[in-house]
Amino acid sequence: MHISMNELKAGLRRCLEATGYFVGNYEDAANMVLWLEKHGLNGLQEFEMALPYIGHDRDKPLSSVVYEDSTSAIIDSHDRSALNCIAASVDLAHAKALESGIATITVHNCHNRRFILKALTDCGRRGISVAAYWRNGSHTVMEHTAAIRAGQRYPSYSEAKTSLDTTPEDHQALTIICSSRVDLTSSLQESDGNREVFTISPEQVARNKRKSIHQGLSIDEELWSQINRIGAGVLVENSEHSRLGAGGR
Amino acid sequence: MTTPAAIESSLRGDHALPLRPPHQVMNLERLGAMHQSRLSFMRTLMRCIMRERWQIEPSRIELDSQGYGSVIYRIKAPQGHYNFVVFSNQLTDEDRNDRVIATKWDLTMALVEGDVDDVYLEKLRLNVPKQEAGRVDARVFVLSRANRSTRNFDYVVDQLANGHQPDITQITRVGYLYRTTAVYGSGKLGMADWDKVSSTYGDFARPFAAEMFVCLMLRNFSLMQAEHIAYHRAPDTFVKMAPDIKRYFGIGNSTGLGMAPYLVNHPQLINRWIEMRELALARVRALGQINQRVRCNLDDLIDRCIRHTQETKTEDGWQTDNNRQILADLAGLAAYVSESLTTWDDLLLWSERNCSVQSQELLVSILLELYPELVDDLEEYHCTDEFLDLDPLMPLHRLKSIIETRYAWALNIDFGAEGARETCWYRSEEKMEPRLGSIADVNARKKQMALGVGCAVQKCYVQLCEYMADYPDHTTARFMVARPKMRGIVRRIQTMNKCTYGDIQANLLDRDMLPIHLLRCKLAFFGVSKFDPRSRLWVRNTMFQGAPLLEDIGKMFDDDWFMPLAPRQ
Repeated sequence: MHISMNELKAGLRRCLEATGYFVGNYEDAANMVLWLEKHGLNGLQEFEMALPYIGHDRDKPLSSVVYEDSTSAIIDSHDRSALNCIAASVDLAHAKALESGIATITVHNCHNRRFILKALTDCGRRGISVAAYWRNGSHTVMEHTAAIRAGQRYPSYSEAKTSLDTTPEDHQALTIICSSRVDLTSSLQESDGNREVFTISPEQVARNKRKSIHQGLSIDEELWSQINRIGAGVLVENSEHSRLGAGGR
Repeated sequence: MTTPAAIESSLRGDHALPLRPPHQVMNLERLGAMHQSRLSFMRTLMRCIMRERWQIEPSRIELDSQGYGSVIYRIKAPQGHYNFVVFSNQLTDEDRNDRVIATKWDLTMALVEGDVDDVYLEKLRLNVPKQEAGRVDARVFVLSRANRSTRNFDYVVDQLANGHQPDITQITRVGYLYRTTAVYGSGKLGMADWDKVSSTYGDFARPFAAEMFVCLMLRNFSLMQAEHIAYHRAPDTFVKMAPDIKRYFGIGNSTGLGMAPYLVNHPQLINRWIEMRELALARVRALGQINQRVRCNLDDLIDRCIRHTQETKTEDGWQTDNNRQILADLAGLAAYVSESLTTWDDLLLWSERNCSVQSQELLVSILLELYPELVDDLEEYHCTDEFLDLDPLMPLHRLKSIIETRYAWALNIDFGAEGARETCWYRSEEKMEPRLGSIADVNARKKQMALGVGCAVQKCYVQLCEYMADYPDHTTARFMVARPKMRGIVRRIQTMNKCTYGDIQANLLDRDMLPIHLLRCKLAFFGVSKFDPRSRLWVRNTMFQGAPLLEDIGKMFDDDWFMPLAPRQ
């Protein structure tokens, strides 16, 4: 079915708020999903995969800094979704890069890492260059990378199937490199081991956005119903008393 | 010609103009005392339509003798062409309800990009009358609905059918034939997103321009429909309405709590609107020459405001007292102006010492009216990017200092005092209507919306001080990793610190807080008049009263419908 970007954002916010995301975080998370979707990068597909688990995050510990020096840090996200923890990791990389010129942050135990693209884009808009790299998949390992130059509006993104073996270290890990001095770009190598390399340029990302702005978005009706069903958790049951509370006649 | 750089240097730095301070301007009671001005969105829209000579013609009128059916108006503007489609249906008195929760209306309408053929008209006919229960596509910019002011409508039709003009006294009591009860845009119900309208259709690329245009079209349709019905009832005796009486008809509006969260959730936009209004005032104070012509205009405007206020009817005791006070203040103002006016600064200072807040803000609107050449070009700067960005590098001592200076008002609130956190704002499952409740209602408290900015700032300050005791040299980024729940409020504080006016300075959770101030602030920016509160939670008002009619487009235009007056009969 057809929906507008604003409808999707509002629906996602309610859904995430009802799931226990806190103020500031549910707006960020909704924007991360919307950003991917409106730029043609399957935000709703990624969200649908995350949906069965996002309610569990409220019982998990908050992200913790395992190691830190002036140019790097290691963060353990304790199996949280990137929707509620990755922005802070990117911000830390941003701050360290501004202080040191270049910084690396490694995040462990973080799910739905594709959502980092919105946070990368915010950095680019604010004049910082960022690149990110991660792997996932237990049978076939997929590689992903995204990057944005300082001052740009849109990132590039690549993914490919690899013939790599999976290692425990790969699981839910993500590397962020951030620089205030160097323009970072990233793309996956067309090596023998990589298959079905998919690359999307900043220009194509921009074109996808223009299309979404002009035509709106499409969403699977069942997913939209599910988002709204969960989001109804923030609505207060109707009563005669509450009707009067709105200032009725 | 103003430029963004000129505006920036007028707001900040060595060349800044004398702006009123945030603690004065952002006070909730003062925001709720604002009046329409030259920069109100209706005035801006009307200037644009008249200057650019938009062509607006009915292209399809399919109304029966009772005025039921559909009408399409074709609009040709410099940057696009559009259609305004209105459906008129019979409605029983029992079904007529101004609340958001209503499901049937006398009129429903849509503003649509491009041409409307038969197929698309049927698609609209199936969905527009259902409003929230329908779906539209990204060609639709605005959806709205309106209910008839039955007594007024029937009276006007009777008069015209019998060959008489409507009595001005009656119109002065209720200056409209229909009241609009919701005007939806910005992507609701599948409509075009604001990004599309603002980036592609320059004719409506100002805040709420398309929404205001729909209200203007509704006003014109309502007058056409009344004449249509009167003519069919008695073609031999029917007379057309006199143009000056027609212009005195506006469109009614009924606004409830739905508008209030908008002001809190769009702080950068609201700050921008206020910056432009205050910058206009500062320009007048610094540059506005006081000569004989200006003195004459000022006298006329004060007289007009007196008459307009006298013609404002309300049953609400609080508003009646306010209006009485305004009349007394305006009399004092007229006396001061005739005897002692030397500078605008002195006059404003005199008003702050001698007049109510409502009168002080009315004076601001009057001053803006005197100098179109200093004010009108600011209308192009009411849009702004809305990014609440975190500044991760900001040292925590700087963040603390910002809270202590820009949010001193929030730190000074005693949230432990009785009633200080009693109000909660929540969304009802009934059409997600925003409602106001008490924290005594556990369900409402648990699900309350995050509108208590002052309270959140104070909580953040406490946590920040605790954290800084251990890590005084950390950056904001590091604080965010440790206290992620503070992320929303920290980036709001950092972002609003870059704005001249910042957040509304009030405890919106207080038991005694008056939501009507929030509604009135936004409505004043829209440009409504004749505020008629029906409770502390909703207000009736009149839009476009005194504005030019469609048939006036292309003729000479004196942009002079500020505080419209009843025509003399």
